[in-house]
Amino acid sequence: MRLRAFYWGCLLTFLSLVVPSFAQQGHPLTGTWNGDWGSNPTQRTPVTIVMSWDGKDVKGIVNPGPDSSTTLVTVDVSNWTVRFETDMKDASGKMVHVSADGKLDDLGSYHRTISGTWHQGAATGTFKLTRE
Amino acid sequence: MKQASWKIAALGLGIALAAPLAPGQRTASAEYDAERKIKLSGPVVKIDWTNPSAFIGINVRDASGTVAAWEVEIGNPLDLEKSGWRWDSVHIGDMVNVDGFPARGPELQAKANSVVLARTGAKLFTISSKPAVKTASQPAPRWPGSHVRLGPAPGKKGYWGPPSSTVLVETGVNVPMNKDGLLVNISDAGKVAPFQPWAKALYEYRQRTLFKDDPYNRCIPPGGVRHFQNPYGFQFLEQPEIGRILLFLGGGDRNWRIIYTDGRPMGQKDDLVLTYYGASTGRWDKDTLVVDTVGFNEKFWFTNGGLPHTEALHLTERFTRTDMDTLRYQVTVDDPRTYTRPWNGGWTIRWVPDQEIQEYFCEENAESTFLSNGSGGKYQ
Repeated sequence: MRLRAFYWGCLLTFLSLVVPSFAQQGHPLTGTWNGDWGSNPTQRTPVTIVMSWDGKDVKGIVNPGPDSSTTLVTVDVSNWTVRFETDMKDASGKMVHVSADGKLDDLGSYHRTISGTWHQGAATGTFKLTRE
Repeated sequence: MKQASWKIAALGLGIALAAPLAPGQRTASAEYDAERKIKLSGPVVKIDWTNPSAFIGINVRDASGTVAAWEVEIGNPLDLEKSGWRWDSVHIGDMVNVDGFPARGPELQAKANSVVLARTGAKLFTISSKPAVKTASQPAPRWPGSHVRLGPAPGKKGYWGPPSSTVLVETGVNVPMNKDGLLVNISDAGKVAPFQPWAKALYEYRQRTLFKDDPYNRCIPPGGVRHFQNPYGFQFLEQPEIGRILLFLGGGDRNWRIIYTDGRPMGQKDDLVLTYYGASTGRWDKDTLVVDTVGFNEKFWFTNGGLPHTEALHLTERFTRTDMDTLRYQVTVDDPRTYTRPWNGGWTIRWVPDQEIQEYFCEENAESTFLSNGSGGKYQ
């Protein structure tokens, strides 16, 4: 039993070390980003954005699925600030305008992040997305 | 019982965390600070003769009498052995004096410029430089009535070894950088290649952070042109009867490429499984093998120095054996998502006669380091 637990400990850590080895090294925004936004630390709304680079623009799909929306992503590579803007359905099904301004951090990391300010309709909050 | 099990699991976690990050062939610029010099003296307490880098451990006593255990990198065992050195060229207890430069991090680790045996003054672990190969000393071997051979002549052996340059820069551009591709002046970044703005910014980030995120440091395969930039060589095996050329790679993960020369069209990205080495088709243009490769993934850096690429990367490589001992390598980099136009670079590669590619695996050091001390200092 103890030996098995020991092996599990080693295996979990090994996997955590190996995963970064497969980082995507192309355009830093390409990939699937998961996270949330909210106006306070306890009330958060999950957000997923899938981004791709076609050589001219970064295009994003917000919350892929039946209620997805597309977003044009603008990025200022001089400081790696990122802006998303889209219209999407809120929890009640009403269309609202969303804009978010964030900063891309730890550029070379597999689990790099974008965090900043999220505006959705009349509400304002913070968001943080992590590249999966 | 359950609590005890979790404690043991945590112990396993701790030990694994203390182990190095599957290291291998870190770029020296990422690991050592060549701007700082260090002198170390003390007895040898450990000899770690493993690929890709051999180390000796020495205990260094400071003025207050405190002893610190240093790890000193002395070179690649294959290179050392070619120069006549062996793991027992130094013995446990021998007093040595080391000149070198220290690791960038807090670890007590250094890369040696010289190791001197204190009692005799003999210099240890020096790499003998081979005389320059005379060009055109012999003509390149040929297939009967056909183009040159890229491998050895029948009955002979040999492989393609060290490149004349270990960096990729646009042809005609002269930008000072070290052998890892680290720019002397970061302001020269825009001259290296015709970057798109995002790619230039990412390239500059990788330069400023001294390649700390380089996947090669974790033994990720050196795809693109990078496998022609390492010193461990490669070998062509031509199979004209079945329309393909195998390319065996001596460094990195000791992998291979298949270049189809049977006239099939170049692969289309959407039909390919994206890989580190891509999908290659080749054709002969007189005595030059022209190889088109697409289907690269984005999980690696395709050259030393941190130049970015995307899945749209298309490499056109031209291999020309100008004489027995020289292979001219020219490459056109076409990645419209990363660069504003196609661009060219290249170098020459020297023939190593009468030898086979020596056994080299990036993984080897990871395992040996894990088993040897697990201190985590050596390759973090």
